Amino acid sequence: MSVSSVEEQEELRQLVRGFMEDKSTSADVRRAIESGAPYDAALWTTMADQLGLPGIAIPEEFGGAGFGAVELGIVLEELGRALYVGPYFATVVLAGQLLTEVDDPGAQKSWLPGIADGSLTATVAVDEESGSQDLSAVGTTARRADDGWLLDGVKSYVIDGADAGLLLVVARAEGELGIFAVQDSAAGMVRERLDSVDLTRNLARIEFSATPAVRVGAEAAALLGRHRDLVVTALAAEQVGGAARALEMAVDYAKIREQFGRPIGSFQAIKHKCADMLLRVESGRSAAYYAASVVGAGGTEAEIAASMAKAYCSEAYAFVAKENIQIHGGIGFTWEHDAHLFLKRAKGSEVLFGSPAEHRARVAALVGI
Amino acid sequence: MAAAEESDEEFRHRFRAFLAEHHPGRAPRDNAAKLAWTREWLALLYDSGFAGPSWPVQFGGMDLAFSKQVVYQEEYTRARVPRPMGTGLGIVAPTIIKYGTIEQKERWLRPMLRGEKIWVQGYSEPGAGSDLPSLTTSARREGDEYVVNGQKVWTTQGSRGDVIFALVRTGTRASRQSGITYLVIDANAPGVEIRPLRDLTGGHAFSEIFFNDVRVPVADRIGEENEGWPLVRTSLGHERAAGAMNQAANYRRILDELVELLRERDRLTDPLVRDELARLEIQVRVMRLNAARVINEIMTRGEPGPTSSVSRLVITAFEQEIHEFAVDTLGPAGLVAGPPPHAVQRGRWLYGFLRTRASTIGAGTAEIQRNTIAEQVLGLPRDPSMPGR
Repeated sequence: MSVSSVEEQEELRQLVRGFMEDKSTSADVRRAIESGAPYDAALWTTMADQLGLPGIAIPEEFGGAGFGAVELGIVLEELGRALYVGPYFATVVLAGQLLTEVDDPGAQKSWLPGIADGSLTATVAVDEESGSQDLSAVGTTARRADDGWLLDGVKSYVIDGADAGLLLVVARAEGELGIFAVQDSAAGMVRERLDSVDLTRNLARIEFSATPAVRVGAEAAALLGRHRDLVVTALAAEQVGGAARALEMAVDYAKIREQFGRPIGSFQAIKHKCADMLLRVESGRSAAYYAASVVGAGGTEAEIAASMAKAYCSEAYAFVAKENIQIHGGIGFTWEHDAHLFLKRAKGSEVLFGSPAEHRARVAALVGI
Repeated sequence: MAAAEESDEEFRHRFRAFLAEHHPGRAPRDNAAKLAWTREWLALLYDSGFAGPSWPVQFGGMDLAFSKQVVYQEEYTRARVPRPMGTGLGIVAPTIIKYGTIEQKERWLRPMLRGEKIWVQGYSEPGAGSDLPSLTTSARREGDEYVVNGQKVWTTQGSRGDVIFALVRTGTRASRQSGITYLVIDANAPGVEIRPLRDLTGGHAFSEIFFNDVRVPVADRIGEENEGWPLVRTSLGHERAAGAMNQAANYRRILDELVELLRERDRLTDPLVRDELARLEIQVRVMRLNAARVINEIMTRGEPGPTSSVSRLVITAFEQEIHEFAVDTLGPAGLVAGPPPHAVQRGRWLYGFLRTRASTIGAGTAEIQRNTIAEQVLGLPRDPSMPGR
C-alpha cells in the first residue's frame, strides 16, 4: 500500500477542497438535487479524470493510487463539507472497498479498474426492509443455475441502488452468506428510488426475482464485518467534514446577523452553542482520524475505533446541524437556505450503517463491559 | 549526564528506573506525616535532577524538550508518586521565570521546586469570581512596603500554604485591570489569617485568606506596580499540554474501576447501564485522542490547534458525568458515605459526584470558557456591554 506524508495529505486536502469549492457549490448541489438525474455525470468524470479520486484507495495493480483509509478519509471529509451529490460513496467506499478486500482476483480484475477510472458506478446491498444491521437477518437467497446463480428477495436502503451500474448483493446461499454481483441490465430486477430524507444521497429498494448473478469470493460474513468497519470509518470522516462546515455557517452568520442593534454572536447564548459545536467537531475529528489510522490493520482495536467514530461523529454531526438551524433562526427553516440539507445528511448518515446506540453496544462488548 | 543527546525512550527508561528505585511507598494516613513524607520525596526528586521538567536548568529545572516532557508526565503518573503541593509550580512559577528579577528567581524558585515552601493562590474574592478584574483587596504603598487589606477565597490547599501569590489593587477602585499588582505574601506574616472553608462535600479543600494591615516588602512584587494583570496567564511553553495524556490515563483507570464495581454488583446486563458505560468509554478515548492530537500539533507545528481549547470542557463534563452515573446506578447504596462496611468503596463515587460540582466553576467557569472559545477561537464578537479586556 502507498503511504503519504503529512505534507502530501495536506496537499490532497487542499486539492479536493479547492475542486469542490469550485464544482460543488450550493447552487451545484441544488441543481443536482432538482435535476431528476441521479448525479452530475460531467462532474463525476472530471473527479476521475483530473483528480483520480475514485481510485485513491484502490490497489495500483487495478489502476488505483493504492492509498488507504487515511487518504480516503481526507477525500470523504472534503466531500462531506461540500455536500457532494454523486456516486462516490456507493461506488468507492461501499463497492470499491468490498472488492479491494475480497479474495477473488477475477472479480477484482473485472470491476476495480472501472471504478478507479470512473467508468463504472457500483454499490453494495446488505440491508433489507427491516433495516436490521444483523447479518443473520439477511433473507435474500441465491440458488445455483446452469451458468451462475439466481437471486430472490428484497433489498432496501441501498445507496445509489436505483442507478449504480454494478450491484454487489449479500444473499444467503446454501447455508452461508455470499456476495453476488448483478449487472444493471440484469433481468428480474425492479429498482425503485425511495423518497428518503437526505436529498443529497439516493436510497433505493430493489426486488430480485430469479435475477442472474455471479458469485464474488467465498463465505462472506467475516469480510462483511470488516467491510462495515471500513465503511463507517469513511462515513465518520464525511460526517466530520459536514459538521465542520455547518459550524462555519453558524459562526459566519452569527457574526453578521444583527438583532437588538448588535451581532447575535455577541450574545452568550449563541457563543455557548458555538463553543459546544466546536467541542463536538474537534472531538469527532479526533475519533474519525484515529479510526482511519488504525482500521486498515484490522483486529479488535480497529473494530472499537470504527464503531466509536461512527457513534460519536453521528451524534456530533446531528447536534451541530440542528444548532446551525437554531442559530440561523427563521432563515434556517427555509427551503432556500442550505442548513436543512446538512441536517438531512446528518440524520441520514446517523441512522444508516448502525445507529449510535448499536455501535455503542458493540464498543461495550468489544472492550469487555 | 548527556541528557541533550538522550532519545525519548532512553530518557523514559532512565526516569522509570529512578522512580522504581526510589518510590516512597504508601502515603501515611496522618496529615502531618503525609506532608513530611511528600516533602522528603520532592527534595529527593530535586536533588536527583528530576524536578521541574519545563523549568530552566539554572533554577534547578530540567528544561526538557516538549516530547520528553510528555514522557516525564507519563512516567510520573504511571509510578503514582506524590505530586507537588500547592498550586505554585503550574501558575506562579512561569510568571516568576518570565517576569521576576534575578534576585527573586534565586530566592523563590528552588525552594518551591524542592517542596520546602508551598505556594498557594490568592486571586478570587467573595465579590470577584468570573469578573476577577473587579477585585478589591488593596495594597497601599508606605515607603519600602505595601500594606495589604482585604479577603481572598477558594485558595486550594490554603491551610498548608507558606507563601501566597496574590493579585491586589494598587490603583483606583474603578481602575480594573490597569490598577492590579502582583504580590508575593508570606503566609506567616502578622495580619494574615487563613481559615479552612467548609465546602459542600463537608471537606476543607479550600481556604479563605484575610489580610489585615499585612506589610509586604516592595521587593516581593513581581513586575511593576499596576502592571500585574497581564502576568496572570503566563505559562511556560506548552507545559500543560504535556500532562494532558495523564488526565486521560487517570480517567481510563477510574472508568475501569467503575466497570469492575458494576460487574461485581451484577449491573452489566442492563442495556441502559451498558449504553452509558459505552458512552463513557468513548469519551475517555476521545479525551486521550484529543490530548494526543494537541501534543502532535505542538510537536509538528509548534502550536496547538483548536482542540486544546475544548479539552477542558470535555474533561470536566466527563468527570461530572461518570460520578453521577455511578451514584445513580448504585442506587440507595450510592447515597451512603463514610468508612466500610456500609458505604460502597468508602463513598468515593458519592464524594466524586459532589466534588466535581467544582469542576465547571473553578479556574474559570464553563460559561466563561465557552465565551473565550467563541471569541478567541471562533472569532465571535465581544459583548459590547462587557467591560474591556
